[in-house]
Amino acid sequence: MNKGKAISLINVLIITGIMFLLPAFFKGPYVTHVLILTVLNILLSTSLRLISLAGLMSLAHGGMMTLGAYTTTLLIIKLGLSSWLALLIGGLMASFLAFLVGFPFSRLKGIYFAMVTIFLSEMVALSVEQWRSLTGGSSGIYNIPRPDPIIIPGILNLTFSSKVNFYYLICVILLISLLILYAIERSRIGMTLSGIQQSDSLSESVGINCTGYKVLAFSIACFFPGIAGGFYAQYISTINPTTFGFLFTIYVIIYLVVGGMKSFAGPIIGAFIFTILPEILRPLKEFQPYFFAGSLMFIIFFMPEGLVGLPKRVVALYDKLIDKWDEHA
Amino acid sequence: MSSVAFLQSIVNGLASSGIYICVALGLTLVMSIMGIVQMSHGEIYMIGAYCVYYMVVHLGFNFFLALLIAVVFVGCIGIFLERVFFRPFRGELDRAVIISIGLILVFQNLILSIAGGNPRSYNSPIKGVLRIFGTAISWERLFIVFTGVLLLVALFIFINKTKTGQAMLAISQDRVGAALQGININRLSAIAMFLGCGLAAIAGALVGALFSMSPTMGTFALMKGIAVIVLGGLGSISGAVIGGLIIGLIDGILPVLTTSHIAGLISFAAIILILIFRPQGISGHE
Repeated sequence: MNKGKAISLINVLIITGIMFLLPAFFKGPYVTHVLILTVLNILLSTSLRLISLAGLMSLAHGGMMTLGAYTTTLLIIKLGLSSWLALLIGGLMASFLAFLVGFPFSRLKGIYFAMVTIFLSEMVALSVEQWRSLTGGSSGIYNIPRPDPIIIPGILNLTFSSKVNFYYLICVILLISLLILYAIERSRIGMTLSGIQQSDSLSESVGINCTGYKVLAFSIACFFPGIAGGFYAQYISTINPTTFGFLFTIYVIIYLVVGGMKSFAGPIIGAFIFTILPEILRPLKEFQPYFFAGSLMFIIFFMPEGLVGLPKRVVALYDKLIDKWDEHA
Repeated sequence: MSSVAFLQSIVNGLASSGIYICVALGLTLVMSIMGIVQMSHGEIYMIGAYCVYYMVVHLGFNFFLALLIAVVFVGCIGIFLERVFFRPFRGELDRAVIISIGLILVFQNLILSIAGGNPRSYNSPIKGVLRIFGTAISWERLFIVFTGVLLLVALFIFINKTKTGQAMLAISQDRVGAALQGININRLSAIAMFLGCGLAAIAGALVGALFSMSPTMGTFALMKGIAVIVLGGLGSISGAVIGGLIIGLIDGILPVLTTSHIAGLISFAAIILILIFRPQGISGHE
């Protein structure tokens, strides 16, 4: 292991440690809720990046979350399944839908793909609203039970009665997901996907199955919003078809693009800053949206590579200043 | 469904088509000249509606005069937006989308604080109904259809017969080639934004007269507009017309036949199917 790798590994461990210690410093249900949302948004935007690696922009994350949330909830309530199994099936269900539509959808490029994914998302919500006998229609489902307690006799007795425990749960889910997503990106699949992003036809000509890889990326990436939806339904304990609407998906894209699409850390930083920022700006009351929009545009105007490029820019600026100083002296 | 109800729902569908086509034409103009999806187009449409509302209700202007002033005013907003916000991001889809999301937030909140969140409407300038084949069709809806056709013909003549229009066509086909021929892309981008925003303002004002207006009305119009241009083929005027007719008629006829949810499902499924069999849209090019 070389030095750079060791340093970045230490950084990751430190950030993970801070993540788990945060609830000790920031107490109170409201702050914990914001922390949970932050981690959830990191999970969503990072998984969206896997699709963008293949040069596609999906707006189906909201629909996939709705699907995952309803699958999980209905399995728990109607069939009495263990909540953990139901959560997993919720994710697999979203993945399966993505797999089914992936083959016809991956014929489309750019904005055409983005559009059909919006329509897919809307179709999921409309189907839920139409199927009243099962899903409760547009009023949704209430009193969703909390996740089953994790009991290992003598060692652990974890019940999900407080918000802090939900925070730890989503942190664990996020860590596992990030490991999986990072491994995929660094594997042959990730390399192939970025090849497809750069040129569809060139990749095809060297014998890469473009459609197959696109479908693979789409269905893996949709697993995570499925899980996130199932988690969110159990956390909030109510779900309706408009919870994860169009606006929700748009925000996930904001996190991804503003954070920086080119690097793995981009969506993490973007989701972190832009989930916390509106909460910090809350004292501004009716001027809050203007400041949010303003900071969004500022970053897009002055940081073409996203927030992730900020340290490099600061270092470059610093070097420039030092040089100027030397010239003067 | 009786033939009377059928005729009425077709006219309703055509009226929606007129609105959708107006919105979509603006989007497709900006898209093909500047290479961006102008997501705040829906908000421009909303501002157009509110401008006309204030002039008609509070200042007592004639509807058509108010419409003319609103078109020019909103068109100038369009030129301003092009110069300040969109010119640096020409051809960069992702970043332009985020910029326009920022603009959406700003415009929606601005109108919300000026006009409040309650839906508003004003008395339509055109009253009465046309009795034909035993059914009653409001002149208002027919007026929207006529306006749509008129604008379409005007735009068609503008693109095909004037030098500016031909230059726009050239840019949409090959930006670098057009620039080499001495076409001023900056100037034409401004003209495209002016025209696009003006069309959106007309559509907004018509919707304000027919239904009602609210600060969030733009989202629906934007969704429909993007659906229309994607279905028809990006950057194609005839595509926008065909796409607008298909989506407008589906929206007019299906909800009469079944529940609104199933109608929505069918229309989305139909658009997805058309796109899968024609990935470049109905009359788009590869």
